[in-house]
Amino acid sequence: MIQADNLRKRYGALTAVDGISFEVRSGETFGLLGPNGAGKTTTLNLLVGTLTPDGGSVSINGETDPTNASVRQQIGYAPQAIALYGELTAEENLTFLGRLYGLSARQLRERARQALDLTGLSDRRQDRVRTFSGGMKRRLNLACALIHDPPVLLLDEPTVGVDPQSRNLIFDKIEWLRQQGRTIVYTTHYIEEAQRLCDRVAIMDHGRILALDTVGRLIEQHGGKSVIEAELQEAPADPAGLPGVIEGARFRLETDRPLEELARLAGLGLRFRTLRLDQADLEVVFLNLTGRRLRD
Amino acid sequence: MGRLIVMAAKDLRLLSRDKFSLFWVLVFPLLMALFFGAIFSSEGADVARLNIAAVNESGTAAAAGLIEQLEKSSALSVRRMPRDSAEALVAAGRLVAYVAIGEPQKGTHTMGPWEPPSIEIGIDPARKAEAGYLQGLVTEAYFTRLQSTMTNAAQSRQWIHTGLAGLDSARSLPGKQRQVLKDLLVALDNYNMTFDSGSQKGPSPFADLNIRMTQITGRAEYPHSSFEITFPQALLWGLLGVTFAFAHSIVGERTVGTWLRLRVAPVSRAQILAGKALASFVACVTVSIFLMLVGRVLFGVRLTNLLGLAVAIVSCGVCFSGLVMLISVLGKTERSVAGAGWGILLVMSMIGGGMIPLMVMPSWMLALSNFSPVKWGILSLEGAIWRGFSLTHMMLPAGILLAVGVIAFTAGASILSRADG
Repeated sequence: MIQADNLRKRYGALTAVDGISFEVRSGETFGLLGPNGAGKTTTLNLLVGTLTPDGGSVSINGETDPTNASVRQQIGYAPQAIALYGELTAEENLTFLGRLYGLSARQLRERARQALDLTGLSDRRQDRVRTFSGGMKRRLNLACALIHDPPVLLLDEPTVGVDPQSRNLIFDKIEWLRQQGRTIVYTTHYIEEAQRLCDRVAIMDHGRILALDTVGRLIEQHGGKSVIEAELQEAPADPAGLPGVIEGARFRLETDRPLEELARLAGLGLRFRTLRLDQADLEVVFLNLTGRRLRD
Repeated sequence: MGRLIVMAAKDLRLLSRDKFSLFWVLVFPLLMALFFGAIFSSEGADVARLNIAAVNESGTAAAAGLIEQLEKSSALSVRRMPRDSAEALVAAGRLVAYVAIGEPQKGTHTMGPWEPPSIEIGIDPARKAEAGYLQGLVTEAYFTRLQSTMTNAAQSRQWIHTGLAGLDSARSLPGKQRQVLKDLLVALDNYNMTFDSGSQKGPSPFADLNIRMTQITGRAEYPHSSFEITFPQALLWGLLGVTFAFAHSIVGERTVGTWLRLRVAPVSRAQILAGKALASFVACVTVSIFLMLVGRVLFGVRLTNLLGLAVAIVSCGVCFSGLVMLISVLGKTERSVAGAGWGILLVMSMIGGGMIPLMVMPSWMLALSNFSPVKWGILSLEGAIWRGFSLTHMMLPAGILLAVGVIAFTAGASILSRADG
């Protein structure tokens, strides 16, 4: 569906994107996870053709020129900045953009209604955008990307600066869009968003892709072992036959498969008074790959 | 074309909802035209009156009559006062001048009332223009007064008798000349006696000068009112307002991110820029038509050459739409573009006749104004309003405006393309 091959982009001395390659499959949600300045937005701009790469190539549905109108017609883009006209109403913003995509008047009415319904803004359709809250603007920003019903969505940090309610709504809608079979490229620096929404994640830093796989495999490959810590109801009679370290009633185990190990321990007759599971996540993956935390 | 119109319509809608920009585009130019038009208007304006003092040092009826005549002048504001006060006020700059009327000069011949009084004008020597103007007004008043006396038969006869008596006592006058003058006065007296003495009126050889006013409408090289100067200026101010508003909106789109959204849409960069240019062109033309209509309907601004006016308005629209693009890339933020934009536009206006009318500019400033498109805009509009430009005459300003517009648009679009990466 989307193919990036050895993409490079420099701004003077700064290398924003440094020879990255990846493929986004049809119908999957592909995450670009990395800190600010990792090159995620530049990558999206290269994909959509608003930036010209210094090297490498992009292909979308076999088309190698992303500036081609037929390619643009297939892409819905929600920029990181809230790209709306404050003095226009929500509906006017949508219809203006819809007209640029060549929608007829009937299509415009229908699509605008659907987009506003989807983002929960139907009751504010006639209000000027400057009167909206940050969360509402974010939702409308997403709605604008959907107005022409594109099969491909490029969402650049779509939940930055929004309230929890709007964030959850946006998550729900993106999951719904994924279920509808859209191909989504989603950039974020929030671990939980990537883990929740993305089928596969590319971890980016300093313009390079450090790792790319499903969330589970990334954790498995780069996250290190999970830690099970527990206080047992009674010290085991034969601690030597059990995995982990046992000191009296205290139990500690490092493992790659924590859930399987917990099931095995229960089968061995261990009873827990307290239990804590420290499972590796993408934050740990990033830490292990770069030596620093994602939000440093 | 459809997408172009969609983008232009969006920009015009945004402009119509921006009250601040609308003020600068429509209201401010109109206020400028009305304010300066009213100030410079010759009709009913007091600003042209010279404030002077009148000093009657002779105490004669003739002097009083002359002062009355000065007071009747619409060009003068006269206050009677003693010489000391008059000198003090003139010295303090609170009055332009004083006119002191003294005894007739004592000469060798006395002609009675025809003998000219002694008139002194006290004025700062630096006020050369006012001095000459005042001298003319005093002379006019004297002869108007004399004419008035001569057209009154009874008063004229009284003055003739006084004059005859004066001639009898003027021994220094050669006898032959004295006799000729006496014959002239007697003849005048006899003529006056032929009138109906009761009415004291009638035809007189000194009847009012009949000046016939003829309007020459074939030549229109001069403005008929100050509004014919201020409305073209105001129109250019409106265009500067449009230029600023759209340049600001372009850089605003870039900083807010809507520019990126437009670029992601299935429209080319050329279409986006053309849409912006079309919107600013439509705004320029709309503002121009609005101000010209107000000027025509409410203030009698002549539109002597409608085709020429259309050429001027279109040329101005192209020029300032091009400048929109160039000014929008002068900075990367709205603040920097606002600062640089207003700076450049104000200088353009200052040297181009937006503040000082072209027709009263000193020669050096007129030469400098050639570098400002504002000058060519005003010139083309004035050409269609009162300068009587033919289409051939219009080619120079219109051509310059079109060239500036195309060059500015190309340069701005090129810089913008490079900035977009």
